[in-house]
Amino acid sequence: MNNDIIINIEDVAKTYQMGAETVHALRSVSLQIRKNEYIAIMGPSGSGKSTMMNIVGCLDTPTKGTYLFENENVATMNDNELADIRNRKIGFVFQTFNLLARASTLKNVELPLVYAGVKKDERQQRAFAALESVGLQDRTHHKPNELSGGQRQRVAIARALVTKPSIILADEPTGNLDSKTGVEIMRLFGELWKNGNTVILVTHEEDIARHAHRIVRIRDGMIESDTINPSPAEV
Amino acid sequence: MNIFESVILAIDAVRSHKLRSSLTLFSIAIGIFAIIGSGTAVTSLNETVTKQMAEMGEGVFVLQKFPPVMSNDMWKKLRGRKDINFQQAKLFQQKMIENAEAVGIENSTGGIKVKYGNLSTDQNVSVAGGDDAYFITTNIMIEYGRPLNSEDVSMNRRVVVIGDDLVKKLFPVGSPLGKIITIKKQNFTVIGTIKRRGSVLGQSLDNRVIIPITVFMKYIADEWDVSVAISVKALSLDKVDETMDEAIGIMRGIRGDQPWMESSFAYYTNNTLSEQFEGFTKYVGFFGIGAGIVALVVAGVGIMNIMLVTVKERTREIGVRKALGAKRRWILQQFIIEAITLCQLGGGIGIILGLMGGVFLSLILGTVVAVPLHWIGISIGVCTFLGVFFGAYPAWKASKLDPIEALRYE
Repeated sequence: MNNDIIINIEDVAKTYQMGAETVHALRSVSLQIRKNEYIAIMGPSGSGKSTMMNIVGCLDTPTKGTYLFENENVATMNDNELADIRNRKIGFVFQTFNLLARASTLKNVELPLVYAGVKKDERQQRAFAALESVGLQDRTHHKPNELSGGQRQRVAIARALVTKPSIILADEPTGNLDSKTGVEIMRLFGELWKNGNTVILVTHEEDIARHAHRIVRIRDGMIESDTINPSPAEV
Repeated sequence: MNIFESVILAIDAVRSHKLRSSLTLFSIAIGIFAIIGSGTAVTSLNETVTKQMAEMGEGVFVLQKFPPVMSNDMWKKLRGRKDINFQQAKLFQQKMIENAEAVGIENSTGGIKVKYGNLSTDQNVSVAGGDDAYFITTNIMIEYGRPLNSEDVSMNRRVVVIGDDLVKKLFPVGSPLGKIITIKKQNFTVIGTIKRRGSVLGQSLDNRVIIPITVFMKYIADEWDVSVAISVKALSLDKVDETMDEAIGIMRGIRGDQPWMESSFAYYTNNTLSEQFEGFTKYVGFFGIGAGIVALVVAGVGIMNIMLVTVKERTREIGVRKALGAKRRWILQQFIIEAITLCQLGGGIGIILGLMGGVFLSLILGTVVAVPLHWIGISIGVCTFLGVFFGAYPAWKASKLDPIEALRYE
């Protein structure tokens, strides 16, 4: 087995019970993601893309199949074990930023470390360093509503980075931003990849997906195509 | 670990929903106020009475016509009792004196105006007739001059010992000793002043005069109340029961009570009095605590409501926290701490109000100001319990939220 493989999904399916009807959100999906890949998961709405993201992000477990995250079997984990994996190994970036409105930038970035049980001094140091890496070291005591959309997303990225996760999972990260700010954020993801991070974008926008080096397209709960992007967009 | 953060969040939640929060905090405050207030009142009253009883002298019991506290039924049953008249008391005194340290005879009346020259008191002075032994059994100390002696009593001397209130009112300058004051148109020479005693339940113990019981019965006593009280001080504390048995026997003989009849008089010690008083204050306490509990239950439901709304409003935040790795118990802990913080805020206000109320009541009643530390401790405990109890369900709901659903919540 290749030690470079972070995510190893094998024949995963997810079904939901909606009243009397069974919804097959994912029918059978197999996917491997290696260290320091830059990958986009694409698909129109209803394709199973969100379910895929939830499973990759350990927010949900598959009904069928195996999911090894760095050789740990995620598929059979309980809520608390999943929370632990999310905390240590996954950095989330959301479309709507999802910062805590009442907390300062620094506190927001510290939050995952609080749940990791990191002591206060170290927490603050690491949060500051993460903010520095996204260029917001002079905004540490601002509240989210005192920041622009682009700055908020940078805070969210700093929060995703602060635990030094195995993957960064970004769900439509530019969806709430104007195109100029969106480009800035995509540049930041590019830098993160160059620094050795594994970046997974979940998006329905071709413009965003073309920054990735590998594009996985999902349709009707199946992987439609899994291709290398020959010419990733540089920004 | 992030308890502090949860506390800050809770205070924030209170601030952002001022009306809703203040109503709930108010009902917690009322509940705690009732508990602390009645606790303070009961503690103060009991301490006052205990202090007063101790001052009255230990090892003393009293025989009189009626018990000091009577229910309506008792009154109907006992109203036909014959007075303990002065002759009976005198006889009792002679028979009892060898077996007791002192046997005092007393009667008193209130609402009397006392005059000296053109100065006069309000119509509220209590006038007691007593004898030399009465000073011993009631532990009355003399400041200047002398107490009554047996000749004063036997020779019907027009002499008086006055309390500190009268000294201040009638003799602002100069010594009262040897001066002549007027009580119910009778003149009395002041022979002594009583050391200041303070007050019980707002009633001054110094607004009184004592004259010989013989003179009192003749000129001052109300016609309808000529029954005297007899106070007996036992030779030692461990002989009180024995002495009391003896005294009851002697009195029954004097009163002609047949062996098959109940005694035609009442007897009690300071202890029975303070027990009765504590029985009364207990009811005050129960009532206050009962009212407090009702208010706290109402408040608890309010807390639960606030917390349910808070959880609903912050569903997304809960989703984010879970996505970032918050385990169920973290979410549970956060919301329970918020509920406890809310309760403690209200409780803190209640404690302050309760203490103020208790002190205010003590000042009005002139009792000892007692800060009931254990009640404060109990209140803090009760608030914590309320927070845990009524915060548990909302917090449990929050901790059960599915992170995917919660993140999608608008």
